Amino acid sequence: MLKRSLIAGYTCFGCWSVGPKGLWGYHAVRACSAPALPAGRITARQAADLWKRHFAERGVTEPDHSSHYILAYLLGAKTIESLEQGKLTEFLSREKTEQMWKLCSQRLCRMPVQYVIEEWDFRDLTLKMRPPVFIPRPETEELVELVLNDLQMKPRTEVGAQETCLEVGCGSGAISLSLLKSLPQLKAIAVDQSQDAVDLTGENALRLGLQDRLQIHHLDVMKDAETVLSLCSSVSVLVSNPPYLFSEDMTALEPEVYWFEDHAALDGGNDGLDVIKQILTLAPKILSDHGRVYLEVDPRHPPLIQRWVEVNVEEMHYVETRHDISGRPRFCILRKEKSNKDHKLDLD
Amino acid sequence: MLFNRLPRLCSLCSRVFYSSRGRGAVWRTLTGHTSLKYANITQVQHWGTVAPKRLSHSDFGDLYETESVQRFLQQLMEEYRDTSKKIQHAQLSESDRKILIKRQKELLPLANVFESIEVALKDLEEVLSLLQSSAGTKDEDEKLTQLLKDEEAQISHKILALRKELIRALVPVDPLDTSNVVMEVVSGRTTGGDICQQFTREMFDMYQGFASYKNWDFEVLNYTTAEMGGLHHAAVRIAGENVYRHVKHEGGTHRVQRIPEVGLSSRMQRIHTGTMTVIILPQPVEFDVQIDQKDLRIDTFRARGAGGQSVNTTDSAVRIVHLPTGTTAECQQTRSQLKNRDTAMRMLRARLYQSMMGKDTEQRHSARKQQVGTRSQSERIRTYNFSQDRVTDHRTGYVTRDIKEFMRGGEALEDLISDVHEHAEREAVLEVVESSGVKESGQSAH
Repeated sequence: MLKRSLIAGYTCFGCWSVGPKGLWGYHAVRACSAPALPAGRITARQAADLWKRHFAERGVTEPDHSSHYILAYLLGAKTIESLEQGKLTEFLSREKTEQMWKLCSQRLCRMPVQYVIEEWDFRDLTLKMRPPVFIPRPETEELVELVLNDLQMKPRTEVGAQETCLEVGCGSGAISLSLLKSLPQLKAIAVDQSQDAVDLTGENALRLGLQDRLQIHHLDVMKDAETVLSLCSSVSVLVSNPPYLFSEDMTALEPEVYWFEDHAALDGGNDGLDVIKQILTLAPKILSDHGRVYLEVDPRHPPLIQRWVEVNVEEMHYVETRHDISGRPRFCILRKEKSNKDHKLDLD
Repeated sequence: MLFNRLPRLCSLCSRVFYSSRGRGAVWRTLTGHTSLKYANITQVQHWGTVAPKRLSHSDFGDLYETESVQRFLQQLMEEYRDTSKKIQHAQLSESDRKILIKRQKELLPLANVFESIEVALKDLEEVLSLLQSSAGTKDEDEKLTQLLKDEEAQISHKILALRKELIRALVPVDPLDTSNVVMEVVSGRTTGGDICQQFTREMFDMYQGFASYKNWDFEVLNYTTAEMGGLHHAAVRIAGENVYRHVKHEGGTHRVQRIPEVGLSSRMQRIHTGTMTVIILPQPVEFDVQIDQKDLRIDTFRARGAGGQSVNTTDSAVRIVHLPTGTTAECQQTRSQLKNRDTAMRMLRARLYQSMMGKDTEQRHSARKQQVGTRSQSERIRTYNFSQDRVTDHRTGYVTRDIKEFMRGGEALEDLISDVHEHAEREAVLEVVESSGVKESGQSAH
């Protein structure tokens, strides 16, 4: 209820008039009334406190974290905890004060902090963030861990055999780049239906020096299935954080998510399974034997996926459901098995 | 601030405890390890007549010449012969025999070396008597005399080496030697805070350098910076081969003397003194805390609501509660929730280690007061005099120049550490000897 009324309240401002594509425009920023620039000098701490109060008054979520992260970013640190204590009591320069006001005004319009400071951390990587490309969530850090654990456990049976990983819906590139960073032998193919995402993944790969082992394609698995199949074969890992929200839940999203992030990266159709089903249908043709699929899904999904796969995809075997840090069933692991006819001993 | 509660590792922990219980001691198996630093070969002169002398800081082998050590050795050899004899006896209960055999086994390496020394001594005696008899004869025997002299030198050399080995065999084994450690560096709070913090950072860098020199893992658990590039406090976990054996004697207060380069005190061009403290907490493998996931409760901001794609939060703080003990650890140092979770987990582990270690050391401590030296962590152990480009270890008097090279944490530091280690082993031997009840009359050797 609260969220809905917030959105309603925002629409009243009149800065949101066009369709979803127009939501990310920076013109929205100016529509939110920021407190006036202070006449005199203020310290870093005063600026942070002032904005924290202002955020809180305007119902902006996480008021203290927001002002702290923005301030830390301006002062060249990642968190306020890692700033030198003395810096907080120093006066901000005029330039820094103006920057603080500019960035905080964006946040006041509910732009996510990650977009405001144009970067965020994912595992041990710092990634560039830009609207409307989906901002990776902490749960996805755990998805990467699942894949890494499995790949690192694997005995090196065929010496020199290079593993390839396919990621569907790479967004900012968080998953693929983390895997490439941790596994120097790995190669990855990343696809996304959004040109913005493809561009951002490319930029992040370049910044991290991982571009040589990553192929990025602007492809929609829903429409360009044939192209996907022609690009990859004998992939050992298929990983995805596909859009998995139920369409009916979309309107209940926080403004940060609903107004700024690409709906195509969030909305998974009526049951949230549209892209997931497509991935699982393609999986047997893409994966090598015993290749695995790792999916991040909605907590309601695992039993649905298991049943659907048993009925519809003969060659895929549902391995297990894993839980996220908060104990929600969040990840599905599946494995390609030869069909029953020529079923061999499972060597995994 | 979060981590300031981190194990203010009890001072007990970093003292050195030996498992040896006097007569039931475990003997270090003999290694070919010889001390190079002071291995100056001198003539063996007093081997027959042991003159009790004050232990100066020199050869490890000269402990042998201490009367109490001699007596202790004789006693052990008697015990060995006794044990061997008793084992031959028919009327022995099975359990008694087992105890005797075990004891014999423990003493065997020592007895072997002892025997080798006896043989060598006999050889030497022979050579000496031959030399004496040839002394009166004419030059035609000059060649023979030369040969005999060579022989004598050789045997003397061998005896010295064997004695060193013998003493080394007496050094009780520290069961914690192979452990990994958590090391904390803490800036002193005395005059001139900035000089202390500056020095703390340099010390941190030195140990990081040492870890890399020794090819150890160096994992930073906490790093709280101060102004001017200084360091308030840091905690690291060092893992690798025999880490505790190498760094156990680093625990204590380190003092710096220098004209400050930065900070408030740099304005006055005079020498300042500052301190920092190193705390070493061993993490023995056998205490490796096995944490059952079921015993943990992990709190995050995202625990509320649906999580996943539907929520975008920037609050990445993680708190982990170990339910059976109520121990908690939390972290909000980074923007990655997973990294915060990993750090919190390590902190939790370290805290659980600490409480287990605390109990353990208490038990050992009350069971027996056996440690090297009687120094507590608070005592000043070393001075880094930058103005005079000199590092002095106060426990041994060891002095080394080129402070810059020393603070790189390479060979220079290792040399000092080896020296302190040897010193500590000497003290440990004497401790064993004293606690064995061998009393000296007259002059004390210690």
